[in-house]
Amino acid sequence: MKRRTFIKGTLAAAATASIPIISIPASVRKALSAQGKIKFASTASVSGAFAENGKFGEMGSRLAVKTVGKVLGRDIDYITIDTEGNAGKAVRKVQEAINQDGVRFFCGGTLSSTGLAIGKEVASAGGVYITPVGADEVTGSECNKSTFRWSVPTYGAIEQTVRPLIGSFPNAKRWYTITPEYVFGEALLNNAKNVFKEKNIEHVGNSYHSLQEKEFSGYLTNAMAAKPDVLLLLNFGGQSSASIRQAVSFGMKNNMMILLAWSSGLEQFRSLGPDTLDGIYLGAQYWHEVDTPGNNALLELCRKEYDINPNYPIAADYTGARIIFDAITAAGSDDPAAVISKMEGYKYQGPTGEETVRAFDHQVIKDYYLLKGKPAKAMKDKDSFVDVVSSGKSFASQEESLCKMS
Amino acid sequence: MTLYLFQVLNGLGLGMIYFLIAVGLSIIFGLLNFVNFAHGAFFLLGSYFCYQVVALTGNFWLSLLIAPVIVGAIAWFAESNLLNRVYNLPHAFQILITLGMALVIQESAIMVWGTVGKNIAVPDLLQGIVQMGDFAYPIYRLFVISFSAVIALLLWLLLERTRFGALVRAGSENTEMVSLLGVNIFKLFSITFGLGATLAGLAGVLAAPLRGADPFMGAEILGIAFVVVVIGGMGSFTGALVGGLLVGLVQSIMSSLWPPGVHLMIYGSMALVILIRPYGLFGRA
Amino acid sequence: MKIPRFLKGTTIASLVAVLILPFVLPSTSLAIEVLIFSIAALGCNLLLGYTGLLSFGQGIFFGMGSYATSLCLQRLDAGLVTSLLLAFVVGGLVAAVVGGLSIRRRGIYFVMLTLAFAQMFYFMAYTASGLTGGDNGLLDVPRPPLRVFGFEISTLGASLSYYVFVAVLFLAIFVALRRIIHSPFGSTLLAIRDNEERATAIGYNTRYFKIVAFMISGSITAVAGGLYAMFLNFAPLSNIEHLMGEQILFMTIIGGTGSLFGSFLGAGFLIVVGDVLSAIWPRWLMLLGFLLIAIVLFMRGGLWGCIESLMGRFRGHQNTKKDPPLSESPTGSLSTKEEAKNER
Repeated sequence: MKRRTFIKGTLAAAATASIPIISIPASVRKALSAQGKIKFASTASVSGAFAENGKFGEMGSRLAVKTVGKVLGRDIDYITIDTEGNAGKAVRKVQEAINQDGVRFFCGGTLSSTGLAIGKEVASAGGVYITPVGADEVTGSECNKSTFRWSVPTYGAIEQTVRPLIGSFPNAKRWYTITPEYVFGEALLNNAKNVFKEKNIEHVGNSYHSLQEKEFSGYLTNAMAAKPDVLLLLNFGGQSSASIRQAVSFGMKNNMMILLAWSSGLEQFRSLGPDTLDGIYLGAQYWHEVDTPGNNALLELCRKEYDINPNYPIAADYTGARIIFDAITAAGSDDPAAVISKMEGYKYQGPTGEETVRAFDHQVIKDYYLLKGKPAKAMKDKDSFVDVVSSGKSFASQEESLCKMS
Repeated sequence: MTLYLFQVLNGLGLGMIYFLIAVGLSIIFGLLNFVNFAHGAFFLLGSYFCYQVVALTGNFWLSLLIAPVIVGAIAWFAESNLLNRVYNLPHAFQILITLGMALVIQESAIMVWGTVGKNIAVPDLLQGIVQMGDFAYPIYRLFVISFSAVIALLLWLLLERTRFGALVRAGSENTEMVSLLGVNIFKLFSITFGLGATLAGLAGVLAAPLRGADPFMGAEILGIAFVVVVIGGMGSFTGALVGGLLVGLVQSIMSSLWPPGVHLMIYGSMALVILIRPYGLFGRA
Repeated sequence: MKIPRFLKGTTIASLVAVLILPFVLPSTSLAIEVLIFSIAALGCNLLLGYTGLLSFGQGIFFGMGSYATSLCLQRLDAGLVTSLLLAFVVGGLVAAVVGGLSIRRRGIYFVMLTLAFAQMFYFMAYTASGLTGGDNGLLDVPRPPLRVFGFEISTLGASLSYYVFVAVLFLAIFVALRRIIHSPFGSTLLAIRDNEERATAIGYNTRYFKIVAFMISGSITAVAGGLYAMFLNFAPLSNIEHLMGEQILFMTIIGGTGSLFGSFLGAGFLIVVGDVLSAIWPRWLMLLGFLLIAIVLFMRGGLWGCIESLMGRFRGHQNTKKDPPLSESPTGSLSTKEEAKNER
């Protein structure tokens, strides 16, 4: 495992020159090059404004590389690409890894815009990329042959949170939504509206806010004015933390239920603390206390290697990297086209139970969770912030999908 | 109608925090003619020191006392060792060196406290809400409004009724004259700079239970602070107060009327004020 | 044969730099990024170094340029040259508006205006997601072949051929700017920088000169933005963030405002060092912070200033005369505290 270094270009040049290519017959040389390392890159925003997810994502893929050790009997050349929280930098560095280092296998990506753009770049080089970003376009309207996605789309996130909550509380008829004004928020909102319509829920109002907003008291006051039974938060990351924190301080927990459809999992729970989280419903892609063979294995690995419980970015990038390595092994070659065909339809024991890579849009079919925060005294250890209320798989069918893979 | 009443209340709470952060920036500019791009970083430090003190002692009130003082001391140290060398340089270099300081502080905060934000609990005494009809208002926010009002009053007394305040005001008018009168002007600069930073740190402490502490809050609040200072008039105490409340109110009420336009409107009005009335609403010509 | 002065000195240095850059840097794509941002820093330098205007609004022009080029390529199916020309024009027009309004104030009020405009343009781009793609940015920006009068010169598909294209543009802009600076127009800008009252008193319409400087700067920066979009096949929202303007400003100042070549040094330094350090230490921005402080305290002429003083020491007291109008101290250029008292 080595990091990208400045001198690597020069080193590589020196290395190629020093290999006595001319004296070896073509057949042997081919066998030799097959003995070379398999190049695999993690893209994560380690510095810059979104470092919190990136750091753990990189730890996840590193864990996978270390666990797997060798693929096809060859070492893995693990390269980390810091996207610096900047989609432009990310694309430039991926381009460099493709052209200069000949990397074809990528995982990770922290921000939606970064994930989408990296997917395009890897596709144009015919590589393989698996990402856990939130943008539905990755396996929707902008899907392509090279790009795979581990995270459940917004459709499933709403189906597995809003629907079961309506099921458990049929009297909660009035819902208010707070939505960030960009594609991700809009997608969550539309999916929620569909469920509302079907279930005869009164959507008593919605507040849009920009991606820069940190002050939610105004929007929360709007929500209070509408007297809802449920406050549905459709924002993400720091914004969702700020909304929850402020909603709790306005005493909104007392007279309505609060549901955050897309939480970031353990790290976010830790930063909010049990007093704030108590009684709040949270949608999540992953929860480390779920009892599945795949998750138990990951728990053990992660505790041994890092002495922490795995969180969402660790689980996502670990699993993504594992899928790629498994597919390379199954294909018996590191030819991206062969690897892609092995990934399509691949079924395995993942952290959320049995997971499948759907062939037509490259979406991983996996569980999404509805969690509920519990009081501090009910926590059996320092990380056990929530109980799992329900879980399940919901995905738009091929007919509904916007993915038209060419 | 009650909705807008509550939005006004929200705006007041927000505006008072904006005032605390902006007034320091404004006084520093008035006296030193110096734009401090590191001012947001002092706000950030205030929040994190608050978190640290609460984490160690569990006492929010102690942090309200200690955190701003430490922030002020750091600022005083930075001023008397670094910034005092750049007063005679063009603005470009003052901006550059304070931007550099802000980066160093931000990245140090990440190294010490990590990238994930920290939660700071509302102190027990101020927990709970005041229920008024369908609406509720957190007691803590009421405390923020009244406590900042007291600070504003004390600050006004300090500036208007003490020798120190007289020197600051005189210095803002004519620095050379004050120094000719035998006042150690550099000491005055240091104290004023430290005071401004202390106020920013105090704003950080007060904001911490509302918003938590995260490494990028400094850069974010700096933009708003500039808007407040420009609208109110650089160097003006009253301007910072009125500007802060104005921006807070606009932000709150707009979130009921046209949320996507909030920031556009805030920065738009900043540009408009500079173009039409460069001294701001309360600046001296 | 007499070689004009604008083709000597730093022009030769730029030519050499451009020739060796792809070989000393670890990758061609890094070299392309360096040159694109060098172009942007050149635009910024004309304002800061030669007119004395510290603008945080350079990100506006960069972003508008990348959107203009991308939309022209995607929606109008136009060619490469047309798209870049559009960026050039759009950049100039936007700069005329932003600059025209901002220069109504001076000193710190000018800086604040450019900051306000930078934020406004960002939020406009964010809101107008139908055009700009909002937070996702514009994906699938094509990089069409370079055609001149119907002849295809290069497909620009490979990164080295795109590098050559960017390098030629960089050199052309460099030489053009040098000509501008050495022209009577350029001397007027310097006069405005050094003492605007005097320039006005002599009878110059300083506002007109400042607006034109802004337009040139905006056009150049927008072309850099367009080149960046084609390079990445992608126009992210971050192109128009105020942080982009800040980056460009840092590059210009780190490189040194005493010479156009400084802009190349600054862009190269910040990008390459950032690339290396970010791979080693995620908190590398802290070093950037210390560097900015160090520059203000010890090397206000930036990298170019360092080179100059080293060369001066090396040359000793040999009576050589080099590029006099450019090497004027950049520190005295902007309004000082005394002037600031009566700015606005």
